[in-house]
Amino acid sequence: MRMIAAAGLGLLALAFATSSRAQDIQIADVAELSGGGATVGTNWKNGIDLAVEEINAAGGILGHTIVVTHADSQSNPGVARAQVQKALDSNPYVLLGPGYSGSVKATAPLAADAGVTQIMGGEAAELTRMGDKFLFRTSFGQQSTMPKVAKYMADEMKAKAVAVVWVNNDFGKGGREAIEKALKDLGVEVVADISTEAGQVDFAADVEKVKASNADAAFVYLNEDESARILKEFKRQNVTVPLMGETTLVGQKVIELAGDAANGARAHVGLTTDAPVDAVHAFRDRFVKKYNYVPDHNGLKGYLAIQMVKAATEKMGKLDPKGIADALRGLTIKAADDPGILMDVSFDENGDIDREGFLVEVVDGKQVIKQILPKLH
Amino acid sequence: MTRAQRLLVGAGGAVVLAALIVAPISLGRYGLYVLSQWTVMTIAAIGLNLTLGYAGQVSLAQGAFVGIGAYAAAILTSHGYPLALAIVVALALSFVVGWLLGYPALRVQHHYLAFVTLAFSTLAFLVFRNEEWLTGGIYGISGVPRPTLFGFSTNKPLPFYYVCLSGLAIVTLAFWGLVRSPWGRAFLALRENPLRAASLGVDTRRYTLMAFAIGSALGGFAGALYAPLTQFIDPTPFTLALSLNLLMMVIIGGSGFFFGPFVGAMIAVLLPEWLRFADRYYLIFYAVLVMLLLIYSPSGVLGILDRYLRSRNARAASAMRASAQAGLSDEAVR
Repeated sequence: MRMIAAAGLGLLALAFATSSRAQDIQIADVAELSGGGATVGTNWKNGIDLAVEEINAAGGILGHTIVVTHADSQSNPGVARAQVQKALDSNPYVLLGPGYSGSVKATAPLAADAGVTQIMGGEAAELTRMGDKFLFRTSFGQQSTMPKVAKYMADEMKAKAVAVVWVNNDFGKGGREAIEKALKDLGVEVVADISTEAGQVDFAADVEKVKASNADAAFVYLNEDESARILKEFKRQNVTVPLMGETTLVGQKVIELAGDAANGARAHVGLTTDAPVDAVHAFRDRFVKKYNYVPDHNGLKGYLAIQMVKAATEKMGKLDPKGIADALRGLTIKAADDPGILMDVSFDENGDIDREGFLVEVVDGKQVIKQILPKLH
Repeated sequence: MTRAQRLLVGAGGAVVLAALIVAPISLGRYGLYVLSQWTVMTIAAIGLNLTLGYAGQVSLAQGAFVGIGAYAAAILTSHGYPLALAIVVALALSFVVGWLLGYPALRVQHHYLAFVTLAFSTLAFLVFRNEEWLTGGIYGISGVPRPTLFGFSTNKPLPFYYVCLSGLAIVTLAFWGLVRSPWGRAFLALRENPLRAASLGVDTRRYTLMAFAIGSALGGFAGALYAPLTQFIDPTPFTLALSLNLLMMVIIGGSGFFFGPFVGAMIAVLLPEWLRFADRYYLIFYAVLVMLLLIYSPSGVLGILDRYLRSRNARAASAMRASAQAGLSDEAVR
């Protein structure tokens, strides 16, 4: 008898729990929590959790609590598709992730079919050119950063001949194509096109090739660890060609790993915890306090994804999953009104993002901002 | 097998088949997708089971053949050719490449053979990634279409699941026929004792190549279904990790058992999904379960069943012997 009563009470509690949850905002995240993209996905997830915690503590979105479920894509597009399908079957308010461009391509059609807005971390140029009205970026696509980098190399570095060193994955290849096109448009010649592998350790031959090409500047587009290794190799071989990069080349981790060798390296940085913005520094401190490590830009992207949902929902003034994509398109979120967004940001018709960027040089082991690049529009 | 046992297996098969046809109707899109993944991986594992479990050749290249089939299907169907043709091409291509890969198997065995096939696996990945004009390189091929059969579009998850299930049914029947044919016996002879097989007139050279080629062709078939299932392929799913995963499916299901790949693929595809309630620990749970299972039964899940049936048969036999003996001694007393 007592068992039955207990079971009945349990059921009742469950019923109450589900009825109160109905008022919550259910957000589904599918990210690379294991496999090759585990660093990307874990940063992204932690950024999301931090934002959710802060917003819920401050009363939620329009008074509703946010509940996020995380699912692991194992960094595999096929698994990502299964998890996104599962997430969509439960009718989420918004879908977050994945971070790998390939997984985004495998899942975006599902979200678009279901009419669910997808806020993702992929940076490949083509993602926002598929005509998908429900897909939004959290960082610059390469098609918007590389013209800025090329312009800086042509105007400020006076480069006429450039060597391009890139990592052969979808991140590196997309960047390489965008920069080479942008350089050619400005009349700058690409004299060496050097492909490297993810996880590569020895860059002696690649630096040799840069030297042999007689380039007057090199564009280096590798992941963090490899960036540090190639910087050391440039120093070891005493090659003094000016180095330019995008985000990764001057990351905090790269500077730590490369030491002296990082000095003089320059890069365009769109989103970094080193950005000279007080709100971003404060974010970094909160993140470090919660997780005990300094996040990379993926942590910021996850954090901003939730802030985008908040801003779009507050703009609509109601919980309307079908309306979020419309609300985000053409939206400008100002940090002055919405401190969580950290920096002013705008979205265009394709889901591409626009915000301030920075040109950074490493001087004595520290990032120094050389130039602030204004928003495009 | 006695007649009763045969009937039992037949009835069991019919029940499972009926369940596979009827049960998914109530499943959501996610459940259907995962179940379709199971059918595809089962087909690839059946192929590897032939190469490894029946013919005894260790291959770490099955994932590459799934890739070859997937790319063949993706390229052909996105150029407007029907999936049926793509499947034929995938089968033929994997068969020929598998045959060629079989040649090293004539010279090296066991872990040396594993290394040769491992190298092939890496080579295939590099071709998928670098031959951009054909494979789309690292960006892959998106929007792989699903076929229209007899005027019915299989774009929705349920119809496409039935396409995958039919594929599995055809492969199962063909494989059933194969292992019961003289070829199947020859493969077993090859695994058990190649020297003896040769002395009995089995052309070991030809059967080794055949085991590789047919096993690989089934990998290609699985790939040709995988591409329209995920509707997007890039080189990343077809790395060594997939080959190792397929190898695990065969071993954990029960290498050399007919239904081993079915059980193995179920464990590899469905178990992690069931364990997802454990949140970020799910892969740890999964790994521990798999390890415990293999410690308990190195011959896989079906090995447990096999051991049970054998010991029961042995007990029955000894009981019969004992009663026969008792009968004899009774007579002696009389």
